[in-house]
Amino acid sequence: MPNAILDPTGSVTSKVAKAAAPRAHRPASLNGIRVGLLINTKQNARPFLEEVGRLLEEKYGVTLTKRTKVNFAVPEPENVIKELVADNDVVITGVGDCGSCSAAAAADGVVLESAGVPVAAIITDSFIPTADAMAALRGAPGYKYATTAHPVAVLTEDKVRERAAQVLGDVVALLTDPGDARA
Amino acid sequence: MTAASDEGAAAGGAAGPAPDPDEAQRAIEYCYDQGWSDGLPLVPASKPLLDAFLATTDKDPDEIIGSLEQVGRDVDVRTAAINAAMAGCKPEYFPVVLAAFEALMRERAARGGGFQSTSGPAPLIVVNGPIRKELGFNTAGGAFGPGFRPNMTIPRAIGLIVRNAFGVHPHVLEQATQGVPGRWNICIAENEEESPWEPFAENGGVTGGVSAVSATLTRTMEFVDNRHTPNPEDVLRDFQDTIGRIGSLIFPQTSVALVLCPEHAQMFAAAGLAKADVQNWLIERSGRLGREFRVMGKENVARPGFQGEYEGDEAFHKILSGPKQIPVIVAGAKNAAISMVVRIFGEWSGTAVPVVEKK
Repeated sequence: MPNAILDPTGSVTSKVAKAAAPRAHRPASLNGIRVGLLINTKQNARPFLEEVGRLLEEKYGVTLTKRTKVNFAVPEPENVIKELVADNDVVITGVGDCGSCSAAAAADGVVLESAGVPVAAIITDSFIPTADAMAALRGAPGYKYATTAHPVAVLTEDKVRERAAQVLGDVVALLTDPGDARA
Repeated sequence: MTAASDEGAAAGGAAGPAPDPDEAQRAIEYCYDQGWSDGLPLVPASKPLLDAFLATTDKDPDEIIGSLEQVGRDVDVRTAAINAAMAGCKPEYFPVVLAAFEALMRERAARGGGFQSTSGPAPLIVVNGPIRKELGFNTAGGAFGPGFRPNMTIPRAIGLIVRNAFGVHPHVLEQATQGVPGRWNICIAENEEESPWEPFAENGGVTGGVSAVSATLTRTMEFVDNRHTPNPEDVLRDFQDTIGRIGSLIFPQTSVALVLCPEHAQMFAAAGLAKADVQNWLIERSGRLGREFRVMGKENVARPGFQGEYEGDEAFHKILSGPKQIPVIVAGAKNAAISMVVRIFGEWSGTAVPVVEKK
């Protein structure tokens, strides 16, 4: 009886089914609610999210709160998640425009959803595979987020505003669509 | 030389008739089919081989030795050993693999997004102490490889751990735009014998000639070939110029490792310079004028810090803030005055981790 060839992937590959991360209940509309902007510090992330926030203020009279991610590369620590949950009815995060920060945006989204806060994560289209992989790792395969074309970092102020306006419809839909947003 | 000719016995195989190449090939292809390989053939690991690895350490096979929190994956000693075996390490290399992995995972940049990053950084592993000779590391010419089993297989083991145990695969969680040549191949054994200074591990806190490993992530390296001048200051100016290259600068501060050839190191030492003197000379002078950054659209680099304002066209912007931003290592042959400026990804804590063999 020959020896088996050993598996180098570790115990995790037993594919123990991760508890499915629940999706948060959506408000019927964004009228007058509290919107948190979780800005990941990548170039142009701040003006991009601030413009999205401004448009939501204008259109729905939302109240904005803003905070910067502790570390763009990794998901937010538990205490920050708690504060985000306490301070906001919905959260918008981004812009996921690098390898680690796009995955982290998806992870933050899944964690906040589990805590009951609907999230619209904004990720550039170059990083769809890594955002999808991270969402699946976090128990939310098929987790939906908004995308905008890569790159964002080199856009002029006008173009950033244009992009923010373009993605607005998807952001609103992600935050209010009551259906199961996972495919 | 083949692994089978000198290692079969250590791995539990019997010394006897020549191994069956067809069976070996089937095993190699099996490993490819599982998606475990970095692209090169793997050594198929078996229980007896794993046991030989585990016998080199007092650590419990179940002990967790690293976590990549954001992907929810841990690595235990057993999994690390299987990957080290598959990378082609000998069992006796395993304590060095463990020390290298610990050193790397102490770095914030590695625990954060380093392995997922678009910059695709490579671990730079530095080995000090008697273990270099005991295991047959290359400590002389061709310091960055290839040609020597421990130097090549130990960093490969780290790469396989990242791939298999952390599940960070190219094009998925690994998003390198281009990456670094030799990404999982860089392991230097310092040329302590021809270095005029203290071993690098001493700068990282491990003294007394104890074997130790230091590790960081690097984005690239560039050589400085300066073998024609008798003047050490000329050579320092040459380093200063290369360190100050703008292309690799994205933040107000940067970090570089100087991997000096013995000839450059000895020239500095003969002029009375300690390592710290070389570091301080370069800290004071490495950088550019504000306008040199501005004409490349990088005036954001020429700020005192992330919160600061552009310092102006005529202000000289220093890019190294202290000795931690410019660790100095001596490696290579004493046959030409060629050294390397290595770009660090993030910041290197410089911590050395002792190699702990089974008592």
